[in-house]
Amino acid sequence: MNILYLLIPLALILLGVAVWAFFWAVGSGQFDDLDTPAVRVIMDDDEKPPENSET
Amino acid sequence: MSAGACFHCALPIDRANEYQVEIDGELKSVCCPGCKAVAELIRDTGMSSYYAMREAPPPGAGRPPDDAAEWAIYDRDDMLAAFSEADDGHAEATIYAGGMYCAACSWLIQTTLAKVPGVSAADVNPVTHRVRVRWKPDDVGLGGILATLADLGYDPQPLAPDSAAQPEIAEQRAALKRLLVASLGMMQVMMFAVGLYAGDFQGMEENMQRFLRVVSFVVTTPVVFYSARPFFAGAWRGIVSRMPGMDLPVSIAISAAFVGSIYAMLTGGPAVWFDSVVMFVFFLTLGRFLEMRARHRSIDRSTALSTVLPNTVTRIEGGEQQIVPASQLLVGDLLSVRPGESIPADGILVEGATTVDEALLTGEAEPRSKATGDRLVAGSVNLDGAIRMRVEQTGSDTTLGTISRMSERARYARPAFVQLADRIASYIVIAILLVAVGVAGAWYVAAPERAFVITLSVLVVTCPCALALATPAAFAAAGTRLSELHLLVTNGNAIEALARATRVLFDKTGTLTVGTPAIVSTEVFDASLDETQCLELAAALETVSTHPIANAFTLREKRHVAKDQRVAVGAGVAGTIDGRRWRLGRLDFVAGDCSAVRHDEDTTNVYLGTDGRVVARFDLDDALRPDAAATLQQLRQLGLTLALVSGDNPKPVRRVAASLGIADDHAGCTPEDKLEIIRAAQRSGEVVVMVGDGINDAPVLAGADASVAPVHGALLAQTSADVVLLGDSLSPVATAIVLARRTMKIVKQNLIWAIVYNATALPLAALGYVPPWAAAIGMSASSLIVVLNALRLTRFGAP
Repeated sequence: MNILYLLIPLALILLGVAVWAFFWAVGSGQFDDLDTPAVRVIMDDDEKPPENSET
Repeated sequence: MSAGACFHCALPIDRANEYQVEIDGELKSVCCPGCKAVAELIRDTGMSSYYAMREAPPPGAGRPPDDAAEWAIYDRDDMLAAFSEADDGHAEATIYAGGMYCAACSWLIQTTLAKVPGVSAADVNPVTHRVRVRWKPDDVGLGGILATLADLGYDPQPLAPDSAAQPEIAEQRAALKRLLVASLGMMQVMMFAVGLYAGDFQGMEENMQRFLRVVSFVVTTPVVFYSARPFFAGAWRGIVSRMPGMDLPVSIAISAAFVGSIYAMLTGGPAVWFDSVVMFVFFLTLGRFLEMRARHRSIDRSTALSTVLPNTVTRIEGGEQQIVPASQLLVGDLLSVRPGESIPADGILVEGATTVDEALLTGEAEPRSKATGDRLVAGSVNLDGAIRMRVEQTGSDTTLGTISRMSERARYARPAFVQLADRIASYIVIAILLVAVGVAGAWYVAAPERAFVITLSVLVVTCPCALALATPAAFAAAGTRLSELHLLVTNGNAIEALARATRVLFDKTGTLTVGTPAIVSTEVFDASLDETQCLELAAALETVSTHPIANAFTLREKRHVAKDQRVAVGAGVAGTIDGRRWRLGRLDFVAGDCSAVRHDEDTTNVYLGTDGRVVARFDLDDALRPDAAATLQQLRQLGLTLALVSGDNPKPVRRVAASLGIADDHAGCTPEDKLEIIRAAQRSGEVVVMVGDGINDAPVLAGADASVAPVHGALLAQTSADVVLLGDSLSPVATAIVLARRTMKIVKQNLIWAIVYNATALPLAALGYVPPWAAAIGMSASSLIVVLNALRLTRFGAP
């Protein structure tokens, strides 16, 4: 069980890194729009306009 | 959306004037060439999925695309300098895009702008309705970018760099960081807590127990000092202002449990409560976050006024016309205003004559004629004459500015609406604290060594998580469901006010009625012509007119072309068709001899004639919205009293009231009168809901307990309203009230559950029978039940 004395502090350091990364991401504006990304994946940017049919 | 609605703008389609556009291999019906053009633009840039994702059509969708020339003025260097910042060959500007309501809009704008040559970046924020564009001014002008937005049906408004600050963004970023710290902290501490509880059963080395407690403390500390800081700040403000709110008991609970746990950790006490602290903070922070998101969806107040006014004005200096930004207007300036433009400032008409549409400001549906020396009001629309005016008041000194200030004041004077849940919750929290003190005292006498521990277990087991979540969870779920039902809630309190409403007040023009005149009947006096032929002649004559009446005569197929058209201001139009001179307009303009023709007082009459002889009469009226009668009937069935308040003349108001069966109608109301009517009702204990769309409704919308504004009305009305009706139908008003009542039922169920749980757990804990693990499970389960109950609202009205 003594390994916990090493692993838990290690986990806390990783936690600190994660929090720092998130703060950086928020600060750089990546989370300013919380609505659009949720639907963006189902919107296709590369839809081809229909070929001009003569009908 | 009915079968006869336009695919693009959702307005009803006139079967005779149907256009078709092919989207994704299917033929869709649209209502006009403008919608056809925009739908084709969206299709040809490969963005048809916009239609599948959007929540409501943009309010400008029904308009034909704007003339690019109107925006060309922004390509000038002085305009570029006024609205953008430049750095190394790029310019950056912030543009307010009115009419953006959902993620699909922001995606459409972003993708379309990115395809404009010269644009290097476009960031769209649907929360603040702002578009931040970065582009090379050598390739494309600001005007071109604005024209692109206008073509998509949005209402672009470039913002001066100093007014582009976004406090909402800063607030959201701070809230997100706090939420993340609280949630990560909660996950970690709960993990350690599981270890500690397991240790209680199976036994654990003392060193390991102390280690886990210290680690929990390390993780809890930032949660308390960073994530929970707003609660402490709020509690302190409450103490200073002697009006303690929910924040005070919350702060006491957090600090008591935190300090108590530190004490237990240092002295090797039987249990720590760090897990309860972080969980409590997390749930409260989550509730606040959801509340904030609802609040931010409201419309930006600072831009509401300026969108009514033109961006540029034509100033006359030394006999020369000069186009300048509206912000440079000064008192005493001489301006030229062309037909169709809106009046940029309050002033006096000095040259020319015209009729103006003041409907948004006064609620009066009939345009007013103005001659030299008459006062003009900023925000009204110059309909048919080219005029010159002298500016007397600008900006916030204008009538428009006064109304806007009045609505701000009315908002603050709104009757204090303390939420039911807040009231109950703060009583309960105070009761818990009193009991805790009592328990501490009793145990101190009976068994001093257990007193502190048992007091804290009372606080933990009765942790008001479920109480704190009861309202925000239900309101958030209701808000989500309402937006699916085409209602945008911008003020959470509105849901409770809607649920308790006893009286609903409606504005007439633009709210109960469509707001634009339409032909209701035609009478032909000449045997050689039929109705359709008269209409075709009239349509050909009206093509030059900017008067709103002209819209009623728009036809798809043009049979005739009129030549030598002339507009007689305030009287009508004349033109030559197939060699014959025709006149369309008021009776005295069309024919000198009035006696032969019957006159209908109730509607606006437009006459068609030739050679001084009247050929036909068109009766125009501002038609009721198709679902007005049905909606009012639904509201009556919900037990609400209905009333009509309008700034229009008594006659049309009474007619609309009578046709809808409203007994209580008030005509000719100024914004002050309307506000007084609402205040009187509120004084007699009624909870009043106002539904209105005009600028003159803004103060009363702000002063009502809850207010609803349609998205097609004035922006100022929408910023004053709690709920914005997306789409073109009135019936969501009734839906909103039903859903609001259902929401309050759920809130009550949640509160009752929380009270029952606390009432059961409290005596057990006070007697010392609740072990830590049971307290934790009970607390989580009660919170979970509250959230699941609230989620039932998201299925409201679904089959």
